[in-house]
Amino acid sequence: MTIETKELKRCNVIKLEGRFDSSVAPALAEAFRESMDDGVYRIVVDMSGVQFFSSAAIRALLMAYKECRRWNRGDVRLAAVPEHIAGVFDLAGILSFVEIYPDTTFAVGSF
Amino acid sequence: MPPFELCVNSDLSQLARISEFVSLSARRAGVAEADVYDIQMATDEACTNSIEHAYDGDTGEVRICCWVENKDFVVRVTDFGKRFDPDKVPVPDTKAPLESRDIGGLGLFFMRELTDGIEFHSDGEKGNQVILRKRISRAE
Repeated sequence: MTIETKELKRCNVIKLEGRFDSSVAPALAEAFRESMDDGVYRIVVDMSGVQFFSSAAIRALLMAYKECRRWNRGDVRLAAVPEHIAGVFDLAGILSFVEIYPDTTFAVGSF
Repeated sequence: MPPFELCVNSDLSQLARISEFVSLSARRAGVAEADVYDIQMATDEACTNSIEHAYDGDTGEVRICCWVENKDFVVRVTDFGKRFDPDKVPVPDTKAPLESRDIGGLGLFFMRELTDGIEFHSDGEKGNQVILRKRISRAE
C-alpha cells in the first residue's frame, strides 16, 4: 500500500495504490489530515491503483469529505475509480454525492 | 473442492493474507471473477469485526474455512472471543445525505449486501461463527 500526496496550485492530489483495509485506514485518514492541517481542503483522490477498499477506508474518505466541505471551503473528488470499487461505492449510496472523474486531469480541472 | 482452512492471529496485519487465501479458494472453486471481489470484501469485513472486537485487545485466533456446498461457495469465519450480536449494529441509511448520516455500520451492511446468505452462530466450544454464502455462477 502506498499513499503519495502531490501539491498542485488548485488542489492536492492524493494517489493511492494497493490494498486499503482496516490495518491501513488510519494512514489514509492521516494523509487527509495532513492536507487539511496545511489549509488545503480541495483534494483529488487518484484511485487508479487501488485493488481493495474496505468499509474502514470508506469511513476515512467520508470523514474527510465531510470536513473538507464544511463552510464551503473545499471538496474531495475521486479520479479513476476501478469498476469493482465503484460498484461498492454505489451500494453504499456514496455516488449520489461524491463526484467521480475518469482521470486525475479532469478531477483537478474541475476545481 | 476439499475445504481449505487458514488460522491466523487476531491482528489486522493478517487481513491481506486472509484476502489472498479467500480469493485463491474462490477462484479454485470456479467463482466468477466479478464475484471474487464481493467475497473478498465480505470476508475482510467479518474478519475485521472478529479481530477488532472479539478479544478486547488481547490476541486470539481467527479461523477462516472455505468450501463448496451445493452451488454455493461458503466462507466460515470463527473466533473464540466475545459474542457478536449483529442486531446491535445500526443499519446505515444509504439514501440519506451524508451530513445527517451515521457513518458506522457499513461493514455489516457490506457483508449482507455482497453475499447471497449470511448466518451468525455462537456456541461455547465451536466459538462465534459467521457463515457467508455466495452462489457460484459460472460464465456461460
